[in-house]
Amino acid sequence: MSLARVVASAWRENLLFSVLLELTYRCNLDCFFCYNDLGLRGEPLSREQYLRLLADLREMEVMNLTLSGGEPLAHPDFLALGARARELGFVVRIKSNGHALRGELARRVRDEVDPFLIEVSLHGATAATHDRQTRVPGSFERLLANLRELRELGLRVKLNSTLTRWNEGEIEGMFALADSLGLPLQVDPEVTPRDDGGREPLQVAPSPEGVLRLFRLQFARGRAAEEGRPEVRVARGGDDGTVPTPVHKHCGAGSSGIAIDPFGNVYPCVQWRRPVGNLHEKGIGEIWRGSAGLAEVRGLTVQVKERIGAEGPGSHLLNFCPGSAAAHAGSSLELYPAAVQRREILEQVMVEEEKRTLLPVVR
Amino acid sequence: MIAITPATVLQRRSDVRYRRIEGEAVVLRQSAAEVLVLNEVGASVLELADGELSVGEWIDALAGEYDGDSASLARDVLAFAAELAEAGLLEPVAGGPEP
Repeated sequence: MSLARVVASAWRENLLFSVLLELTYRCNLDCFFCYNDLGLRGEPLSREQYLRLLADLREMEVMNLTLSGGEPLAHPDFLALGARARELGFVVRIKSNGHALRGELARRVRDEVDPFLIEVSLHGATAATHDRQTRVPGSFERLLANLRELRELGLRVKLNSTLTRWNEGEIEGMFALADSLGLPLQVDPEVTPRDDGGREPLQVAPSPEGVLRLFRLQFARGRAAEEGRPEVRVARGGDDGTVPTPVHKHCGAGSSGIAIDPFGNVYPCVQWRRPVGNLHEKGIGEIWRGSAGLAEVRGLTVQVKERIGAEGPGSHLLNFCPGSAAAHAGSSLELYPAAVQRREILEQVMVEEEKRTLLPVVR
Repeated sequence: MIAITPATVLQRRSDVRYRRIEGEAVVLRQSAAEVLVLNEVGASVLELADGELSVGEWIDALAGEYDGDSASLARDVLAFAAELAEAGLLEPVAGGPEP
């Protein structure tokens, strides 16, 4: 059986495979376009509740566990929970801003948590841009020093970035920086509204020209890779990199994956903020098996598949996300401007690429 | 290929992570970022490789679960254990009999 078939099986049979835990919304940076709902209130899950949750997830044969935030290292029990996750045999990923990952803490993360991957946010190719987005002076230089230290410690690191109006002019520099550090860089071309629906982050959404510049660069780098030159690998987390076909659902949200916020609210996906249960009220197994909200979400992913399929041959270029659709347009079935723009720009770049391959080659 | 005998004691390497999905095993070798999918027998072998049971004891345990003659089961398990060791998923227990 291939991994794609396993993932297809998880989507079809609703086998929970990947869980993202937002341990805390505390953070030592203050990113302008942060999507977290910092006003959300509730009773944080206790250490005992987390330990129980991890045991339940192990029992359910969940494989991937992502520790996120906020800044997950700001949670007082981060190391203890990470170490327990390791003992229970999860594939642990950490999503961090990297600001505190240095010295003794970085060594303890390696030795006690043994993560498969640490995903660190890069916001620009220069201190001026990076620090403008994080709103913490000195954060860029500190990040670069920490990234070098993490590499020296033998930790596997990947850089994540969101394309914004502020960094779109230096996207080439960001890839060059990633290359110089020997790290893969994944760039998300979409700024999303905040999880509370706030639209302030959209003030720095990238321009169409910025998205075009990114896609052209990615295609050019893809060509370079095919010609044998070094290329930054664009890895993807969890089982997201393996899209099974054919399958009757648009994605694995609520079918093979979930996200859990610091207050125990369970969501079908980190981007789909539609609560389907709360761990203060029920265990994760009961929520997974019995939540009416999850059943609705699973049905919606089937409808989304049909809805997007009706868009025709270029529908995959939308890279449609039902969670983003709900945030942008109020319905997970509604096409939203960022997806439509993405398809138009990708079609343009693909036409350019096609012309390039048709040009006679003179050597 | 590493020679494995019924007396060999093997354990999963520390960088191996796995889960059973509908009987089969999805395995990640963290150091190599390599994903493998093992069939049901492979998944059982991986589970039995706890660093305490010998390969001979695995064969006894599996004989109760799977049909077929015991000689071919023993042959298959020995070969499979060697393959998993070769793939970097299993290693001999320190101080145990050399494979």
